Amino acid sequence: MIEAHRLSKRFGPVQALKDVSFKIRKATITAMLGENGAGKTTTLKIVLGFLRPDSGTVLVAPGRVGYVPDRPAYFTWLDGRTILGLADGPANGNGKDPGARILAAAGGLLFDPALLRRRPGSYSAGNAKKFAYLQNLVARPDLLVVDEPFAALDPPSIKRVRDLFLELRDAGTTLLLSSHMLAEMERIADGFIVLRGGTAIAHAGIKEWRLLRSARTAPDLESVFLRLTGF
Amino acid sequence: MFDTALFPLTWRVTRHRLVASPLVLAAGLAFPAVVVWVGMRDCYETAAKLFFFLFPHVFLIAAQDMVRTDIDGGALENVLFLGGRFRRYLWAKNFVLAGAGGAYVLLLFALFSTWGLALGEFRPVHAAQFGLGLLAGFYYIGLAGALSYFLKAGSNTLVLLLTQSAAVIALLFSATSRTGFLDYAASGRFPGLASKLLFGGLVAVLPNVIVSGRLAAFGAEVLAGLALSLFVQHRLALALELNK
Repeated sequence: MIEAHRLSKRFGPVQALKDVSFKIRKATITAMLGENGAGKTTTLKIVLGFLRPDSGTVLVAPGRVGYVPDRPAYFTWLDGRTILGLADGPANGNGKDPGARILAAAGGLLFDPALLRRRPGSYSAGNAKKFAYLQNLVARPDLLVVDEPFAALDPPSIKRVRDLFLELRDAGTTLLLSSHMLAEMERIADGFIVLRGGTAIAHAGIKEWRLLRSARTAPDLESVFLRLTGF
Repeated sequence: MFDTALFPLTWRVTRHRLVASPLVLAAGLAFPAVVVWVGMRDCYETAAKLFFFLFPHVFLIAAQDMVRTDIDGGALENVLFLGGRFRRYLWAKNFVLAGAGGAYVLLLFALFSTWGLALGEFRPVHAAQFGLGLLAGFYYIGLAGALSYFLKAGSNTLVLLLTQSAAVIALLFSATSRTGFLDYAASGRFPGLASKLLFGGLVAVLPNVIVSGRLAAFGAEVLAGLALSLFVQHRLALALELNK
């Protein structure tokens, strides 16, 4: 679904990424892990086309791509319903109100549909995050990229989102998640990419991770992560 | 860079922004009111001069805050603009704004012309002046859009308005009975290269003056300026990355 080959990116004096390569298979959940400043968001933004790599390539299989940022921001003069209307339809912006589909998705995310009459800038951080999920569910992505998927969410919403990820994966959606919540990632991810200092220091695919998890002495993800990152 | 599928999205976003802007609404409503008031107080011909000279500013006001706030506010880091689509969205804004502004001033021109026909004072040259004014308006969108890659909020439009004010004040101070620049501009004759270049400079910041249609060369200058500003915008959009 995604194949990144030797991605490098520099911001002025900072080498944000250096020769990062990975592959992600269709209908899997891959967790991208790393310390602050490890290059996770930069990698996601290159995959999504918001940034261009200085060198290297990314291939994404054809299909609809969705994106939930860490801290979603929206046009300040548009209300929630209008923004969702922009996302609907294969060409975007056909102006149709998805109606029942939105209400069903909102219910699944514990998002109050009455909020759609307001501008997302007035939402709490948690509701803004849920609204970002809602916007992506309306678009029905084949690949969903999420930066800090559980940030600002309350425990019931975290459970709903976790279940949503599993449902999407089972329905054939590929998910790439960047997160610091290792326990949550361990519960749902099929594979991991660990970044440190802009370099991919580990990449466990679905087979390796299943093998690791089947071993009796398998450490938890937090132990693996801390060992890999030198803590 | 040309993605026609983005036009409906761009139109809906732009329409909401224009309607939500008190400045754009006030300017858009005050302009025809002032023209009608002048026409009633003085005569249709005076109102016509004011109308054709001022309507390109409809485009300049509408082009305020075209780019920078969208980038800095993070709204472009959205599922709507993945895969470099934000670049094509910013590019499409030029055409959507030109279309929206063009439709509005065309409506005003139709009403204004009907008024002139009713009074028997409409002249065919008004249609040519309207065409030249449209060209000036499109140039404003190109220029203000390019400036908006660097200047926040409405400061792209503000910078142009301040520059125009300075140019007009300088013009007024230069006017004398024998050699004043304003006198040259009023007569449409520019003796010597220096005065032609000066007028060319004025046209670059205040393209409205081409509605007088004195010298076709200055109309061509605005057309070239429009092409250049769109080229610059195209390059800026291509180089743009979102790294909030």
